[in-house]
Amino acid sequence: MSAPALTAYRCKNCGHIHYPYHDRCLQCRGRNFEEIHPQGCARLLTYTSIFNLPYGFDQRSLLLGIAEFENRIKALGQIKAESTDRLKIGMRLKAVWEPIRPHQDGDIFGLKFEPLEE
Amino acid sequence: MKPAAIIGAGMIPFGRRYEDTLLDMLAAASLNALDDAGLGSQTVDALYVANVGGGMLQHQTAIASSLADRLSLLPAAAETIENGPASGASAVKAGLLAIASGWCNAVLVVGGEKMRAGDGAHTTDFASTMTHPQAEYPYGVTMPGLAGMFARLYMQKYGVTAEHLQAISIKNHEMGALNPYAHFRKPINRQEIFDGPQAALLNPIVADPLRLYDLCPTSDGAAALVLSSVEVARRLGKPYVVIAGFGQATDTQTLAERADPTELRAVTLAARQAFAMANLTPSDVDVAELHDAFTILEIAASERVGFFPEGEGGAAALQGKTRLGGVIPINVSGGLKARGHPMGATGVAQIVEIVWQLRRQLPPERQVPNAQIGLTLNFGGFANNVLCFILKREEP
Repeated sequence: MSAPALTAYRCKNCGHIHYPYHDRCLQCRGRNFEEIHPQGCARLLTYTSIFNLPYGFDQRSLLLGIAEFENRIKALGQIKAESTDRLKIGMRLKAVWEPIRPHQDGDIFGLKFEPLEE
Repeated sequence: MKPAAIIGAGMIPFGRRYEDTLLDMLAAASLNALDDAGLGSQTVDALYVANVGGGMLQHQTAIASSLADRLSLLPAAAETIENGPASGASAVKAGLLAIASGWCNAVLVVGGEKMRAGDGAHTTDFASTMTHPQAEYPYGVTMPGLAGMFARLYMQKYGVTAEHLQAISIKNHEMGALNPYAHFRKPINRQEIFDGPQAALLNPIVADPLRLYDLCPTSDGAAALVLSSVEVARRLGKPYVVIAGFGQATDTQTLAERADPTELRAVTLAARQAFAMANLTPSDVDVAELHDAFTILEIAASERVGFFPEGEGGAAALQGKTRLGGVIPINVSGGLKARGHPMGATGVAQIVEIVWQLRRQLPPERQVPNAQIGLTLNFGGFANNVLCFILKREEP
């Protein structure tokens, strides 16, 4: 994925990693952060497939998951798969930065995960 | 801090109330509570209104001012309290603090929501606005979606199965069928809904692994309480209820950022605070209303509050320990699952139910015998803002 696409924040005082942004560190309440970006593959921590979608989506279902990158950034993303059948907790994922939601001013981009064969 | 008493409780049936405006529902529940308190023709010192969606769904703001005017509570102080699905409990907390500080002698707390006016996609979007505006909302995640991801983790970690979840749903629908204020008043036909050939159709997946019958409905409704000083309550000459303890705690807004999302840390902390203030323990509680917006949450919360050891809430439910007559009856009202979940009303309705239980005024088929101490747990967001109350029956 392109580096600037998702920015996370490492506390310069204690090293705690944050995504999304916080004004003070969740662990030490420090205010100085270093911007970091996802590195390597991600591991799937949990996932779901939702069928009652909110207004703004024109599709029947949506696969979502939370994954953790090699540098410990954790984030929610959409999953590129037909169903949950092939998904399992702990599997490796490749992250891409693609349209996640249509919008009148142009698509909104975000994190998508592609399952990798083990 | 001065203790506060609850001297009036009232609500209106939850469900589809197409004919009522939001103000109609808030006013009706309020009058029921005022009449119950014997304050039918009097005013109160303050009014707290719990509501989440008035601005988004009804295009109506400053609702407390409207209600104070409509109920002729003037010149009472009036505020609207918005704290997501925990708005009801937050409004009760505001009322409690108004009494406890000595500022007020009597306050009216009312929560209400009109959620069935729009189409499902817009209502789902409304609830999704509680999620993080950059890290969650744009992705299309819904509250059931977060619950689905939570459930998958919880089920894997503790061996919770669909059968455990169904036990919650069956119990709460059974109890809802006995509650004239419940949205769903029909027991679940297990064979038809869970086991029969039409099960996949009647109980479809909504947020894998959660199915339709794991979710609370979208409801209209309102519930209200009158709080007073203990001195005022004693003068009424009948048993009354005091708020013996409360607690509140927050957690990270996103599920992803919690070190262990199954922990429900805010639940543990809020309950711990409430028990410490009340000088009671979980084993002292006779009846509880827990925030079962999703069946998995009743199981998880029953453990985190302290009723059961970690990982044993599902088995306890399956063994009937949380039924009426069990060791700790949970959601005798039907819970959010069957009584319904008009967002701003829920935290107030939970306390209305406990007040009725502690006054021992309910019909035998849904009364916890000799109930003395009750607990409520109300979630805002996905367990990121949690309030817990402990209520106690007092004799005059």
